[in-house]
Amino acid sequence: MTVTRERAAVVGAGPAPARDARRSGAAFPVHLAMLAWAVVTALPLLWAVVSSFKTDNEILNDPWSLPASPQFDNWSRAWTQASIGRYFLNSVIVVGGALLLTMLLGSLVAYALARYEFRGNRLVYYTFVAAMFFPVFLALVPLFFVVQQLGLLGTYPGLILVYAAYAVPFTVFFLHAFFRTLPGEVAEAAFIDGCSHSGVFFRVMLPMARPGLVAVGIFNFLGLWNQYLLPLVLNPDPDRYVLAQGLAALSVSQGYRSDWSGLFAGLTIAMLPVLVAYVAFQRHIRAGMTAGAVK
Amino acid sequence: MRHGRWRFLAGALVPALVLHAVFVLSPYAQAFYLSLTDWTGVAGEARFVGAGNYARLGGDSLFLHAVRNNAVMLVVVPLVTIGIGLFLANMMHLGGHGGRRGIAGSGAYQIVYFFPQLLSLVVIAVLWGFVYNPNNGLLNGALRAVGLDGLTRSWLASPSLALVAVMAVLVWSSVGFYVVLFSAAIDSIPRELFEAALLDGAGGWATFRTVTFPLVRESVHVAFVYLGIAALDAFAVVQVMTVGPGGPDGATEVIGLSLYRNAFQYGKFGYASAMGVALFFATLTLAVLALRSGRRERLELA
Amino acid sequence: MNRSPESGPHPTRRTVLRAAATAGVALPVLSACVTGGSDDQDRAAGNTGTKNADNPLGVKADAPLEVVIFKGGYGDEYAKRAETLYTQKYPGAKIDHQGVQKIGEALQPRFVANTPPDVVDNTGASRLDIATLVSAKQVSDLSELLDAPAFDDPSRTVRDTLLPGVVADGTFDTVPLTLNFTYTVWGLWYSKPLFAAKGWTFPTTWDDMLTLCATIKAAGIAPWTYQGKYPEYINDPLLGMAAKTGGPALVKAVDNLEPNAWRAPGLLGAAEAFAELAGKGYLMSGSEALSHTEAQAAWSQGKAAIIPCGSWLESEQKGVTPANFDMVMAPVPARTTADVLKHTAVQAASSESFLVPAKAKNPAGGMEYLRILFSKQSAKAFAETAGTLPAVAGATDGLTLSSGLGSVRDAVRAAGTETFTYRFRTWYAPLAKAVDDATGELVNRRITASQWSDRIQKAADGLAKDSTVKKYTR
Repeated sequence: MTVTRERAAVVGAGPAPARDARRSGAAFPVHLAMLAWAVVTALPLLWAVVSSFKTDNEILNDPWSLPASPQFDNWSRAWTQASIGRYFLNSVIVVGGALLLTMLLGSLVAYALARYEFRGNRLVYYTFVAAMFFPVFLALVPLFFVVQQLGLLGTYPGLILVYAAYAVPFTVFFLHAFFRTLPGEVAEAAFIDGCSHSGVFFRVMLPMARPGLVAVGIFNFLGLWNQYLLPLVLNPDPDRYVLAQGLAALSVSQGYRSDWSGLFAGLTIAMLPVLVAYVAFQRHIRAGMTAGAVK
Repeated sequence: MRHGRWRFLAGALVPALVLHAVFVLSPYAQAFYLSLTDWTGVAGEARFVGAGNYARLGGDSLFLHAVRNNAVMLVVVPLVTIGIGLFLANMMHLGGHGGRRGIAGSGAYQIVYFFPQLLSLVVIAVLWGFVYNPNNGLLNGALRAVGLDGLTRSWLASPSLALVAVMAVLVWSSVGFYVVLFSAAIDSIPRELFEAALLDGAGGWATFRTVTFPLVRESVHVAFVYLGIAALDAFAVVQVMTVGPGGPDGATEVIGLSLYRNAFQYGKFGYASAMGVALFFATLTLAVLALRSGRRERLELA
Repeated sequence: MNRSPESGPHPTRRTVLRAAATAGVALPVLSACVTGGSDDQDRAAGNTGTKNADNPLGVKADAPLEVVIFKGGYGDEYAKRAETLYTQKYPGAKIDHQGVQKIGEALQPRFVANTPPDVVDNTGASRLDIATLVSAKQVSDLSELLDAPAFDDPSRTVRDTLLPGVVADGTFDTVPLTLNFTYTVWGLWYSKPLFAAKGWTFPTTWDDMLTLCATIKAAGIAPWTYQGKYPEYINDPLLGMAAKTGGPALVKAVDNLEPNAWRAPGLLGAAEAFAELAGKGYLMSGSEALSHTEAQAAWSQGKAAIIPCGSWLESEQKGVTPANFDMVMAPVPARTTADVLKHTAVQAASSESFLVPAKAKNPAGGMEYLRILFSKQSAKAFAETAGTLPAVAGATDGLTLSSGLGSVRDAVRAAGTETFTYRFRTWYAPLAKAVDDATGELVNRRITASQWSDRIQKAADGLAKDSTVKKYTR
């Protein structure tokens, strides 16, 4: 696992090898292939953004046209009438709450398992980590009834708890490696200075694990933000739909009004924050991804 | 100190363990029991039916369609995704003159490639539903624009193409992640190995075969497991995008969709749980096979 | 969002997502009632008055009344107007009105605690599962209400003022327990001005339909389109046509899973008709992959002349329908000259389900409230704003309705007592899926009519044999 850490650091420096390369001379076909995939990737996304400014008629009649005049109204309609604004807020509440809970519980467990020897340590670790490889579908039916019997069906706390429960295993798995590689001397020094166990964790170890926390935090955010199956089953109340759920409902059953431009605007509203956040944080994501996935 | 240690450990582990036990472990455990009953969701009415649900699975043609489709996806999606991903990652690093230096703009490419990974599969499915629209979708629009009208199809409504269309979306959405993953793995290959290969006069393909691939093999294994798990799911894309959904006539049915429909539309919770257990064993087999072959190769390399 | 068909006994595909959740939520929600109701004292004691001609249900004039209304697409103003009428008649009665969106969440604990309200509009995505309520004996028998004189026409009983099929839709094992307030009709839609301009007449026989389709196609318009992503839409006219040929006996045989029901000449004939429609290229190309909104938009843009849909179409298309499109609905043409039902017969079902809880404190008041709500004047007021047909006969008389709603009313009037509805869709969802899949294949010419009926018959036989599935009969 030490390797993981080092690699993460290396990659964390971004696409450095590319940067110092001579800029010229890559074979033309290579560029063409790279460009082709970039177009295939970006075109549908750009198309959605452009379509969100078109009128329904423009969308229906000419998929390739640009909007004659940009319809900003689509966005406000999607936000209010199609309830995207509400779904967005629901997503923020649920994902925000679940993310905090996941990070807190996950880092505590990972730290306790990584830095303390006790009987059953490995058992607890594998109990968490094994769950990463179980298909959620297996748990789906009983989970519905568990949540229902707790009276948490279609509530924010219910979703937050379930989201966190399913995000903790990956967090533990990921952070466990980080905490193991942190030097022990600092913690020992802190103990000698009279820090309590929790003091050492919160004031010393957690700050030291910051790169790992950021990486896993971003991953958890993406996973939770894009979660669909769990809310579909556990969150039947349209007023509390999260974004992915709301968009699916809008596209499949656009209420009693057809509104493509509004739907495209809704898609764009759902896409943009994540894309912008990614471009801002992409180094951390790449670092975290490599550290987590390459063992 | 000792007392504080146990108190801290309890405080750190117990809340997460409780959460884990209630919402993760207990549902998984219950699923196995439920799959042996005919439970329809009304408490007190679950009858033990033994292996009855599993026997029915074999006669459920829609479920068999689902198994077949998941199996096809399990083979095709990882192969194609990893193929494209390795190709692009390799190009990025070997495209420049003089070996592993990367071509201009590879950082930007990686950022763009990664975009779909950030989006919910629901967003992707809604978007591609419009792309595939036979009359005003992006795809047929593009074909018509370049005069290839003869190639326009009703992509999601034709039994032979619908599954391909679904797989294309899955590949599209995951390639970027693996480009970044593989290219990081290539980054970590010692530079000298490439230089040596270059001195030996090895071409691009030979370098890839003898140097790059053996050293990124582990990443490829990880990718197979992840993509395999994704291919066994595919629920969101199929449920939102396809005709029916799961159609036409079961052509894009997947196990997850069958399970969801049986549980939450038909109320056959016991039967649906049996599907979940079947899916679990499929996933388990996949993981064990992948890990085993991974270990064997590691031994061979050592 | 809560158009009548969404909550009705005949769910359209638009309910799929929502029904998914509902089936899961609603089924188990009330299971506690079955065992939980130990408190059996008569809550209604002391809340009944003397019955007389003016007060046929024996309402105690000053007993308070609690009304819980689903506040969805129709709002709850119509219910408040009926409450006003109630207090005009019983000025001493205090009415507690609640307009809520989540009936299940609001009322489930109250049913469990045996303190339900007096009237419930059990509608919407999170409504209570009626089968569970019924088996827990939580719903009052409405026979007394149905046999009472109508509120604004004492010469007729409430039963006689309802549109055909409404009482049956709310009857469970011969006992009427719920009363549905809105009425949905299925048919074929076209633009009246378009047909007038082209000199086309909507056909009443299938042969004429084929002739007309040839004419429409020659004019450069696709004769039909359909909501191909959800094949149940094209199923409706197909099964409707079969029902006309075979009459109620055919519908009943299908619903009762009788052997060879799907091989009836009526069904085979209808399947052949639709195979022919597809075979002659009368379905707009690409329809097979279009969602309901996409197909309906293509239709309202004039790319296709005819589309099958239920009576919610006009509201659903509000906003994308061009001015002066004036859509109208017509019944499905007759396949043969020997059809059992007239060509004017329509597929129709009621929804927006009202009930009086068995443990209500003021059940007489609850029924009296329904008597007022189902009066002609209340229903009329509803029709004026809701854009949908109420379940009360003649409620829209004298009203100026929109083109679509007007045509629906006319179709209902022309049908008279000849309305029909298939129940297998709600009773046996897996069979409905098998039918949808087969019909999708049929209209894409991948299977023949006889293969279509063989496939479905096999699915129906399998279901009939399956002892784990609860069976219903009609």
